[in-house]
Amino acid sequence: QTLSVTGKVLNKSTGESLVGATVNVQGTTKSVLTDGNGIFKITVNKGATLVVSYVGLTTTKQIVTNAGPLNFSLTENAANNLNDVVVVGYGTQKITNVSGSIATIKASDIQKINAVRVEDAIQGRASGVTVVQSGSPGSTPTVFIRGIPSYAGSDPLVVIDGVQQSLVDFNSLSPSDIESINILKDAATTSIYGVKGGNGVIVITTKSGKRNQKTQLSINSSYGYQEVARTIGVLNATEYGAIVNEGSTLSGGGVIFPNLAALGVGTNWQDQIFKQAPFQNHSVTATGGSEKTTFFLSASYADQSGIVGGQSKSDYSRGNFTANLNFQLTPKLKFILNTTAVLLNSKGVAENSFNSVIGSALNFDPTVPVYNNVPNTVGTYGFSNLILAEVHNPLTTLDNTYNKNTGAKLYGKFEFQYDIIKNLKLTSRFGYTDYNDNGKSFTPLVFYGINNVDNTMNADGSTVLGKHNSVSSTRNSNFNYRIESFANYAFDIKQKNHFEVVAGINFLRNHGNQIGASKQDVPFNSWTFADLTAATGTNTATNPSANSGYYYEYKSKNVSTFARLNYDFEGRYLASFSARRDGSYSFGLDKQFGNFFSGSAGWVVSKEKFFQSKFINFLKLRGSYGTVGSDANTNPQSTNVVTGGPYSTIGNSNGYNFGNIFYPGTSISSQSNPLLGWENQKQGNIGFDITLLNNKISITADYFQKNVDGLLFTPTQSLYLGTVPAPTANIGSTSTKGLDATVTYNTMIARSVKLNTSVTFTTFKSLVTATNTDNSAQIPGGYYFNGQSQSATLFAKGYSPGIFWGYKTDGLFQTQSDIAKAAKQSGAQPGDIKYVDVNNDGVIDSKDLTQIGNPFPKFTLGWNINLEYKNFDITAFIYASVGNDIFRAYERNANYTNKFRSVLGRWTGPGTTNNAATPRYVFTDANNNSRVSDRYVEDGSFVKIKNLQLGYTMPSKLFKNSSTRIRVYAQAKNLYTFTKYSGYDPEISGGILSTGVDYGAYPQARSFLFGLDVKF
Amino acid sequence: CKKFIAYSPSDAYLITAQQYLTSASDYQSMGISVYTPLQWLNQVVPIGDIASDNAVSGGESASDVLDLQQIDDYTLTPVNGTLANIWQYAYEGVNRANYLTQYKDANPAGQNISFTGKDAMYGEVYFLRAYYYFTLTKMFGDVPLFTDKRLDFASSGKLTRTSQALVYTQIEKDLKSAIAVLPAVPVVTAQPGRITKYAAQGLLGKVYLYEKKYDSAAVVLQSIISSGAFTLVPNFASIFLQSGENGPESLFEVQYTNASPYYQWSNVLQGQGNYAVQQCGIRGLNGTNGMPYAPGWSTNLPTQSLANAYTAGDQRKAVTCLDIEAYKAANPQYNITYQIAPYKNTGLYNQKYLPRLGETSGQPELNYDNNQRIIRYADVLLMAAEALNKSTTPNDALAATYLNQVRRRAFSVSDASKDVTATGSALYTAILNERRLELGMEGERFFDLVRTGQAATVLGPSFKAGKNELFPIPLQEVTVSGLTQNPNY
Repeated sequence: QTLSVTGKVLNKSTGESLVGATVNVQGTTKSVLTDGNGIFKITVNKGATLVVSYVGLTTTKQIVTNAGPLNFSLTENAANNLNDVVVVGYGTQKITNVSGSIATIKASDIQKINAVRVEDAIQGRASGVTVVQSGSPGSTPTVFIRGIPSYAGSDPLVVIDGVQQSLVDFNSLSPSDIESINILKDAATTSIYGVKGGNGVIVITTKSGKRNQKTQLSINSSYGYQEVARTIGVLNATEYGAIVNEGSTLSGGGVIFPNLAALGVGTNWQDQIFKQAPFQNHSVTATGGSEKTTFFLSASYADQSGIVGGQSKSDYSRGNFTANLNFQLTPKLKFILNTTAVLLNSKGVAENSFNSVIGSALNFDPTVPVYNNVPNTVGTYGFSNLILAEVHNPLTTLDNTYNKNTGAKLYGKFEFQYDIIKNLKLTSRFGYTDYNDNGKSFTPLVFYGINNVDNTMNADGSTVLGKHNSVSSTRNSNFNYRIESFANYAFDIKQKNHFEVVAGINFLRNHGNQIGASKQDVPFNSWTFADLTAATGTNTATNPSANSGYYYEYKSKNVSTFARLNYDFEGRYLASFSARRDGSYSFGLDKQFGNFFSGSAGWVVSKEKFFQSKFINFLKLRGSYGTVGSDANTNPQSTNVVTGGPYSTIGNSNGYNFGNIFYPGTSISSQSNPLLGWENQKQGNIGFDITLLNNKISITADYFQKNVDGLLFTPTQSLYLGTVPAPTANIGSTSTKGLDATVTYNTMIARSVKLNTSVTFTTFKSLVTATNTDNSAQIPGGYYFNGQSQSATLFAKGYSPGIFWGYKTDGLFQTQSDIAKAAKQSGAQPGDIKYVDVNNDGVIDSKDLTQIGNPFPKFTLGWNINLEYKNFDITAFIYASVGNDIFRAYERNANYTNKFRSVLGRWTGPGTTNNAATPRYVFTDANNNSRVSDRYVEDGSFVKIKNLQLGYTMPSKLFKNSSTRIRVYAQAKNLYTFTKYSGYDPEISGGILSTGVDYGAYPQARSFLFGLDVKF
Repeated sequence: CKKFIAYSPSDAYLITAQQYLTSASDYQSMGISVYTPLQWLNQVVPIGDIASDNAVSGGESASDVLDLQQIDDYTLTPVNGTLANIWQYAYEGVNRANYLTQYKDANPAGQNISFTGKDAMYGEVYFLRAYYYFTLTKMFGDVPLFTDKRLDFASSGKLTRTSQALVYTQIEKDLKSAIAVLPAVPVVTAQPGRITKYAAQGLLGKVYLYEKKYDSAAVVLQSIISSGAFTLVPNFASIFLQSGENGPESLFEVQYTNASPYYQWSNVLQGQGNYAVQQCGIRGLNGTNGMPYAPGWSTNLPTQSLANAYTAGDQRKAVTCLDIEAYKAANPQYNITYQIAPYKNTGLYNQKYLPRLGETSGQPELNYDNNQRIIRYADVLLMAAEALNKSTTPNDALAATYLNQVRRRAFSVSDASKDVTATGSALYTAILNERRLELGMEGERFFDLVRTGQAATVLGPSFKAGKNELFPIPLQEVTVSGLTQNPNY
């Protein structure tokens, strides 16, 4: 008996119709493909088995017993599906044939976390990639792939649809438009990007339509709010009064607050600045295609407000409009047009210093009432009579924060693909990014309090003599383009030897400019009139900056040629070789061109005849070695002169005044280094991919070692060369070893309960092996101010990059005899911190500075769990970072600034405490207890529940159209953080030399969202 | 491909060194910037008193202005940002001067550019180089010496320290070259502050004293006195007022102005304003009805010891050591309020450079217009007196005359009532004491104590003889440049 079967094949997780899925009658050659609506029709014998397969999805079987409709829903295979294709540099490759190291993240994972920025989706989901996020809306997190090769530029290269971009461009990519993210990690996969590939490559492919696909519309919408997860313990007003009294009297001063009881609890300024802030994300997309054209259209809007100050002061919003169009112009010629227009709006508050909004909230006087109650003074908010500079009422600071930035970006590509002959394809593309933004900020006249030295407005509202309000506007403009042409050719020799070759050339050009102007005397001291047209400032002899402006432009160029050969023998023995020659105008004439080579080999053991295992379904061993470069965004150098007066950024000023008249002068402003070349990186990688137990478990693991030499940085030069900055030089080297692993597990744990879980593991150890020819140079960083200018971090030979560098403590001196017995430490009194005499010379001095912590984690772990039960789905994502230390740098430590709760456990007499974190409290700190020491270092290890989502998909039978799919969900982000760290958030992003230094970092908000996904 | 990536600095609108020094104005513009580092060296002045018995470093607490506290307490280490700045800035001055001498006869393109006044301009350059080296050697002893060129990166770490004697030889040579070509008054008379022949002679006299070449010192210093170009003003306080700048007593002043908006918190020492003024100010000072002073940081406070050194009737006492409580009591109409200096309070303030209302603009802390008086005629008289007293054939009578000119002005007397009549070593002691009184809080005291060998006896046990006479070489110059450290650091 033959049965006629018709049905539809859907992607279960997205609900999309699958066009071109294969429907095969098992054991026969009979098969059909689904049409543009995902529909198939086939005639089979009763009792036959239909096998439905589709690239990237799990193959499904069904025995046919009745005629009539039979629908299939294929699920995505979270394990590396054996048929998957990954996007590599200038081509694609079957994943089983890849012998380099690549991590992949799929659209479904990105969608589940409601990411605002792409990096949110990468954190913990791609092994080998470390992402440290920031809480400030729209800000760029720290991202590095496989350790810290350098003290400066460690940003990976970003390639979006084949076009080279930068990490900054993630600000304008809507995560919902992404089809896949592939992260190229080892030299075999990155060296085809030559001088740009040294820090790894993030390859993004955006969505596109498929031929003959019925149009699908999809709407995603979510809305929620955010709040601060926890606050930092500071003293209340009574406690503050008591500690100020103690500090003063112990220093021989008077009692500052005679009546402590009258102070009460006072104001907790943190409660005043943190607000609930809304968060929303909406997108509409349409995908489809005809015989000759396909399209993907998308419009999306994301708006994240900041929890510091709320929406009116801190906000990031983005509108994206994307059209990805493919045209089959002739049977051989294809034209691809990708265009994305982005509108970016942001405003922000001062961050990351003791006198930022958060820093002020932590350090400001708690005895001050929220609102000003002093008669005959202007100003809405209260002020301190003790703190007369630097730290102000954070509400006054917030209230007087006015800025906005409006950006517009247009990026995309024009690409032609021409099939010259079968398997020989020529691709030529023009990729571009055009970015413009307008920024404006207004600095009003402010009254901070009576006798406050920062006042620009007097108590009666008049202007302080010689002060002005001012408005400044800037406009940035940047255009960059890349022209690339390359040919891909695939051929077989004697059937079993399969070759894929690519060769091409690439030109890159980047230019831009910035123009800015500022003007004083804005009418009515008001943001409403804060514009250059309304401001009235005019320059005078004594005030030459009342009306000023500037303009500059820049440009850079690169040219490269590249080639790669991939070989496999029956998909069993794999080899790949790539070469790139890069030219960059940034380098010395002798060093403009460089060559980068890499090779890799793989062995698919499970394809060997001798390999018979029911346990192991697939096993591949891989190894690679190669060289990659990095230009660390270096600018070309020359020995220049500069004329004028003002400082350049380096403080190398010119000119002099004779009789109070300024005469501009000229001096040498820069040096050049004709031998400057790029950083050279050699990386070796060995790894394996294995799938076990009917593909239920898959494991990918890689061990790598990379050595960078000729590290580009500005060397520390002899001071007797003067103040002209040193030129960048190829000095120093680093060595990094590490392990990346991903384990994925898919199973049905009970009837209709499907589990899909994966764990990624990333660890690395980086070491600075040299810093200059004599290894003496050190690069300090992590600067902060706590009464003295301090530096908390260091890049130095023999240590991991960016370690915390300071004094080690050894408890407190309890008695004078303790002090007499210890190494000489000037100014020490009982109750003061005892520092460790590291070099045993009997004196505590700068020679005793040592490593007191490491801001980078020993390892990070991402754990992704997806559970499906009938129409319910649960997603959880947990991220752990272990061994990252934090340096507390938000404590201003002035006599009258507020203190932190730990001071309540301070030393008050012999035997009270021996904890170096809680020395006696005294204004006159002769022992300098506030120097950089491990007193301020805390273990910042944490486990964060980053994402928890519960979704419900409406039963499809509710809808007429079987492809309609409606899912509702509730989501919590950053739900809870398990950590011992006493600050807001142990995840503190920054450059290599400021990561982990907590200047009062903007904490990541805890947010609760509700969302709706509709497809039809 | 080569063409696509070809780069020319003019693409970025940069003027290269090769294209410069092609006209008189190019030379003159570079000449002006040789002066600039003078302004950056303002911390040498407070250090000269804080390191001595004249002043303490004060501030908010023991860890406020740590660099100065360590200098005050002789707990110095090679890690001291202020000292490293002085070292680096003085060398920037040397390098700027060297660049001009390097291209004096032929510019980088190989042409000879001659213009009127070139020799005199080079006289200024030679003076400035000598001044920078003198600052370096009096603070650090043996220092790297180079005069052939501006060093570039290739020279980093290649130099060693040159003995102080040779550094002095070079300083003398430069000053003599300067004296030979410099005019007695600035060529451009509208530009007060330009180096003159007298400034060079005054500095040479001082250098000779540091070298104990008293005979040479006497000759060169007396030539200044005999020129009659300078007089002592009757009102001592007026020297330090705005109206007293570049006055009849001034041989060399570092010029500062508040009329230029060049100040920056990240490089506080490198503005066009005088940072050292703010350090002298009274914390939280407030007053009404024309009270003349502005608040400051109290990080350079005169000691009671200095105040006690003055005798009754000496007009210099109040000018050098303002007793704020006495001033407040004497001027109730001002309604003065202020914060007592929290740390090392002496109740005394350096009125010579006390911040005054209306003398700053822009960023007030960094932008005071007070010129730093470096060589005054009174100093010349006292130096001449010292040189004559210590000469191979001493002339104590003339020495006493010079000394007493200074004293008569100080006590506002025209008779001999306050004159010193001693001779020999008693006269020598009197001259040195007079230097303390006359030049107190002007940065001379510590260096005078060291050069005359009195430092260990005067400064007490925390001053370590054989160590604290010199400041430590900045750590970076030891680790990066491989220079040897000064003894016992």
